[in-house]
This record gives sequence, C-alpha cells and structure tokens, in this order.
Amino acid sequence: MPASEPYALDALGPQGPYRARNRETVTDTAGTEVARLSLVPRLFVSRALAALHKAKPLPRERRLAALARAARIFREEEVHGLTYDAYERTVARVSGIPLPAVRSAADEIADSARRALAGAYGALPGGAVLDWQDARTRTGSAVWTRRGEVLAVNAAGNHPAPHALWLEALALGFRVAIRPSRREPFTPHRLVAALRAAGFGDDHVVLLPTDHAVAGELLTGADLALVYGGDDVVRKYAGDPNVLVQGPGRAKILVTAGSDWRARLNTMVDSIAHHGGMKCVNASAVFVEGDPAPVARALAERLGALPSLPAEDEKAGLPVQTLDRARALERHLLERAKGTVAHLGGMGVVDELAGGGAVLRPAVFEAPDLKGGWHTAELPFPCVWVVPWSRADGAAVLGDSLVVGVLTDEEGSPSDGEPVDGLIDELVADRTIANVYVGDHATHWMDRGVPHDGYLGEFLMRSKTVIRG
Amino acid sequence: MSAADPLLELPYGTTPDPEEFLRAAIRWHFSKETGAPFWLDRLGRLDFDPIEDVRSFDDLKLFPNFANELRDVRAEDLIPRGYGDRPSIVGVFDSGGTTGAPKRVIMLQEWLDMLLAHSNAQLDAHGVPRDVNWLLAIPSGPHMVGASFQQLVAQRGGLSFSVDVDPRWVKKIIARGDQAESDLYTEHLIDQLQHPLRSQDIGVLMLTPPVLERLCRRDELVDLVREKVKAIMWVGTQLDPDTRNLYRTELFPDAVLCSGFGNTMTLGHVTERPGLTDDDPCVYDPFSPYMTYNVVDLEKRRPVEYGERGRVVMHYVGKSLFLPNNVERDVATRIRPLPGDVGDAVADIAPVREFDDEKVIEGVY
Repeated sequence: MPASEPYALDALGPQGPYRARNRETVTDTAGTEVARLSLVPRLFVSRALAALHKAKPLPRERRLAALARAARIFREEEVHGLTYDAYERTVARVSGIPLPAVRSAADEIADSARRALAGAYGALPGGAVLDWQDARTRTGSAVWTRRGEVLAVNAAGNHPAPHALWLEALALGFRVAIRPSRREPFTPHRLVAALRAAGFGDDHVVLLPTDHAVAGELLTGADLALVYGGDDVVRKYAGDPNVLVQGPGRAKILVTAGSDWRARLNTMVDSIAHHGGMKCVNASAVFVEGDPAPVARALAERLGALPSLPAEDEKAGLPVQTLDRARALERHLLERAKGTVAHLGGMGVVDELAGGGAVLRPAVFEAPDLKGGWHTAELPFPCVWVVPWSRADGAAVLGDSLVVGVLTDEEGSPSDGEPVDGLIDELVADRTIANVYVGDHATHWMDRGVPHDGYLGEFLMRSKTVIRG
Repeated sequence: MSAADPLLELPYGTTPDPEEFLRAAIRWHFSKETGAPFWLDRLGRLDFDPIEDVRSFDDLKLFPNFANELRDVRAEDLIPRGYGDRPSIVGVFDSGGTTGAPKRVIMLQEWLDMLLAHSNAQLDAHGVPRDVNWLLAIPSGPHMVGASFQQLVAQRGGLSFSVDVDPRWVKKIIARGDQAESDLYTEHLIDQLQHPLRSQDIGVLMLTPPVLERLCRRDELVDLVREKVKAIMWVGTQLDPDTRNLYRTELFPDAVLCSGFGNTMTLGHVTERPGLTDDDPCVYDPFSPYMTYNVVDLEKRRPVEYGERGRVVMHYVGKSLFLPNNVERDVATRIRPLPGDVGDAVADIAPVREFDDEKVIEGVY
C-alpha cells in the first residue's frame, strides 16, 4: 500500500463502486491514517436494497462456481489494488488482530467460500428436497425454500472470521448487503470485491458502510438480518423473528473434580488466548470444581509468558489497540475485577508499543463466587475469570454460553468424583448453551459441517410442502 | 395615507439603505403613536434609548433576547398601533414548540406579499416552473409555512394539494426514542402523498428530506415523481451532500432540486442561493435588510470566521414586526454575504449536537 496516500475504501453499490463525499478516516492502532472509508447515506441504502430485491439469483451451479473462484481471488490475488499480503498486514495494523490470526481467518473465509454448501446444507431437514421438480414432490414432499430474498449483515469488527458465515446465504441464493464494521472494513470490502470479480452481479452482493444512525435502514430494507453485538443488541432484537443476533459468546470451561487439568492446560490456554482472545469462542471463564486457585495460578503463569509484539509480527499472539481504547478497556477491567484475587493483570494489562498503540496483555482473576457475576464479563483480549463451582450450583449457571467445554477425564466413569453424564445431559439440554465440547477440545474448535451457533440455514430457510401431478 | 416612513413601504426590488431603513423601523416601533404595545411596554426595561442609540445592525446586540416573552404575550399587542384598527392579517403563527410553550407572532398580509415576491423571484431563478400544481407535505394550522405556501402556489398559478404534518407530534415521538412509531408516522405521510401523486398533475413537490427519502423506498412513487414532477423543494431539516447528489444524478436527474430555510422568528423563509454545485454547502442568503442572520461564538460574543460553525442569531426588522437578536438553537457555517447584504449568509444549518465519551460495551463485537 502506498504510504503517501490513504487507501480509498469505496462502498460497493448495485451499480459498482461508490465514493461518497462523506468519508471516514480509518487509522491503525498507532493512530496513523490508513484508509478513507466512504459512508453511504440512507437513500443509498434503501435504493441498493431495492436493487437487490429486484435481482434474480444466479443458478445454484453458477453460485457455487463463483464462490469457489472468489475463494482463490480473496486469498491469493490482488483486489482493488491490494495484494493478499498487503491486505493481511493492513488488517493486523488497523484492527490489532495478531497477523497469524488474520491469516487463519482468511483461510477460514476461503474455505467457507469453497465449501459453503457443506455448512448451508447442514441445516437441510432430512425430509426436504432442494427443488420442487424433484421426483419426490410427486407424492408430496417438503421443499427447502428461502425465508426471504435479501439478507442484511450488520457485521462485526472484532475478527475477520465471522465473514465466513454469510457466504452460506449467498450459496443458498440470497442477495446479501453487508454493513462493515468501521473498525475493520477491509475484510468485507475485499470479500465482496472478490465475489463480484468471481461472477456475482453488483446487485447480488453489496458493501454499504454507514454511520450508526443509518444502520437500521439496512435491517428495514432487507427480509432477514444477521446482526452482531452485545447484550443491548440481543435485547433490542429479541422479539424480532427476522433478525438473528450473534451476541456475546461467554464461552466457558468446566474443570470437574478429579480431572487431570494440568494435562489439559494447553487446551485451556489455547481456548482463552487463541487468536488473541478476540473471538466469541474464546473462553472467558473457567469453572473449577474444587479449589480454583491452583488452576488460576497455572493459567497466569502460562498466559503471562506470551510476548508483547506488534500485531503485524509473524509471532504476534496478543491483540493491539489504540492507547486510548486499551486504557478504557483496562479501566473497565479493573473496575469489574474489584472483589476478586488477581493472578495476572491486577496492576493493569496495557503494554505500550514503541511504534504506537498498546498490547492488551492477558488477565486472570479468581472470583470468590458465581453470585457476583464476575464470570459474565467478556472482554476482547485474553481475560479469564476463574471461579469455584460445585455440583450443588448445577448446570444452569454454565448457561448463556456459546460453548461450554467440559474438561473431564472420561465420560461416565470418572476416576474420582461423581459421574458427569447427568451433567452433560443437562448442558446439552440447556437452550441457552449453543455448543458442548466434552473432553480435550478447545472452545474455539469448529468444523464446516457443524453449527457454530445453530446452523445459519435454520434461520434462512423453511420447509414447505409441494405435491404435484 | 400611511403615517410610516416611506422607507418602510418600498416595493419589492427596491432595496433601502440598510441603516436608514433600520433607524426608520426603530422610530416606528418605539414611537408612542405607531409602536406596538409589546415594545412600548418594554421600553422601560431597556438601559438605552433605541431611537438614539441604535444606529447600525451591529447595535441590535444591545437588545436583550425578548423572544421568550412571545410565549405569553397577548397577540394583539404585537401589532404596531400605526396600522390602525383593522390591518389585513394572514394569521397568528407559532414557533415549532420544541422547548415548552410556542412563541407566537402575527403575520400581516403586506409583509407576506413582500416575502412571496422575494420567494417567487428566487424560485424563478432556480428554474421552478410557474403554472403547475404543487403537492406539499408541510405543517399547516399554527405553522406559518402552510399558509404562506398556499398563497405562493396560488400566486404562481397552480393548485395546492396538501398533506398535513404535525411536527410537534413527530418531535415527541423522536424524543421518547420510539423509532417504530416515527417510521409509522412517516409511512402515514407517504400513504397520503401517493394518492394525489397518482391522480393529479403534480409539477412541484415540497416536503422534508426524511419524507422524500422514505418516498424513494417505493419504486412506484419514484417512477411517478420522475414522470410528473419538475421541481422538488425540500425544507425543515438538512440534506447531506451525498444524498443531494444522488437525487440529482440517479433518482431525479431531470427535476430542479432546491431547498428552503424558514424560521417563525424571522416571519418567513428564504430559498437556497441559486447556482450552487453539489460540492458547495447549502447556502442561504438573508432577505436583507428584513430577515438577517449572524453566525457567532456565543461565549466570546463575536462572529466566528467565515467557513466556521457558530450559533445563529436572527433579526427581523420590518414595519409589521421588530424582533432583534434572537439566539436560535441552530448552528450554521458562516458564509460571506452577497454584496450589499446585511449580516451573514448561512449554510448547513443543524440543531446543536452533543457528543458522548467513548463507553466500553462488554463483549468481543
């Protein structure tokens, strides 16, 4: 990227790229201007969505071929003047996501584009066919159909990986409008541009950066919406069946009594700090059946050894933020941590970098109980609350989690302590828990074929009966 | 026979010397024989003699801001005695009423004639056609704009088709943060607009930017506007340059797009300066010397630099009313006025905004 002139991040509208007069400066974590992001007005959004509604989806085969081409373009080629290498360095510089995590997310996005149907068809009901002309409809069959034609995505900026998800909607024939996070617009810009270069029409997938006030227009003008946000966003759309909210992850690890947690320390550390602890699947709490202090001490020792490096460094593992934002997060953390025992980060987590910006270092706090609610605080860096848990507390306190990882030695026949089967039953039954991982699996484990927070297809599609002839 | 100084009764197109005009107006409003009870009652509260001490428009800042007293004053007391018993009156009109009880003014027909002469000339300069019908979604009743434009459209040779807007109800909905209700109200306006758009020969559309934007969600209405409407006049709030450009290039490239800026405390409206490009700010010139503006730094009590933002202070100086030094809640960019104009031209007028500090919201998103 030429250092002299900021990169122009244009909106990608239904008639091609659009450069607005209203442009927002995108800076890196050191405060240096990197790009100017065109913010489109409300009228542009409503007209773009009208264009998406009018467009007819490509036939399935062509959609899949285009997605596969887009995977290669996104991961390998120059897009709007940015090589892949320049792209990943820019994302690391701007968002503070460690470079290896950016690369891994880019791989994930490319894989999702190549195999979008693997995820999308995961939700296909066993009794449903894909086409009303399928022979099975002659005697009556469920046909899997879209619940709408246009999906709006109010995207997250914490990490590029969530952009892998909405590709499934394109595979299913939706037209998609993305409102990028203004903190990290590079990934969706590159992805939408790659999809267009690969064969999707300008009126099939659009990138509509807007300021906060216009965000609602995307949701209004689309049939369905995928929205990322905190508890406030979850509450706001709780009653709206056409909005799917990806809320806080609050992933948890449960260490049952008698399990050899020292042998699983790698899995715990990895769950907490993988990709800089910036994802919804990173563990933010460890529940310990028994004394939490030794677990907290061991985690602190391991997490404390992670080096502070600029995000663009090949060995970077911790997130970088602007100094102001890092300080704000630190203040919030220390306020939240009152009443706990600090094992790491009690004096602060901000480590200023010589070149500007600050690393957010890991934090490990031991909370005295669950009642205080410390364990619900999820922050965008490796920050974990270690809390005591007993069978009397029950499984419900592990609820409200994207992932619960149960570190136990053996299902059904523990060497020491109560059987865990009943507990697993309860966790799997709990409707506020999205995923349950039993045994030596990190909370960030994912696979294209299994759901991340339910299948997106459960939200996008419905079955309807067709009988003919 | 009028007892007034002829300077106060010049026909449109003849511009008086501003300071001579100002002094004539002051004499009229502060003389026992001709002044309104409102001003004569307040003479004792002034620590200066307006007739002696006010020589120039700059001296208007000697006046305290009496605008708030327009909330309670008896309306008849606003009419200068010099008009006699039965002057021709258009109506009693309220300010928006954003903050508590509305401020109230009386509009005389002779002023409206002058205002509309100016307005007509400005619309002609923009290329807004005459002899066409207008469809207006603007406030009527207590709001001056409705009555003014009814007369304006008639003068221009068209019929007015109107949809009523209650801005006070809209403000209440917005104040309580009920976005859904606010959307319903706007949809309600569009539902009403569609009927005359379909059945009548509408040549000019007058509405607020949010209503125009909402209208553009419906392709049928966009097509009707493209087919019938020659000019769109937007009023009430600001339109950002990108949206304006989209209307001019993509949505309605064949229509004239221009805006009006009105304020009850200056007894009327002005139309944007003709000939601005899409990259210019939206500039409004004063109707000098009657309706004039200053853009100031309130704390330092002095004008901001040209191109800088400041609070808008408005003055109305005329035969029918004198209302100096009214500090508005709006901010605007100070623009160099056209030669001969009093005060400042203004651009990008918007309500005062407040900013919050960055707050931490928990979670990774």
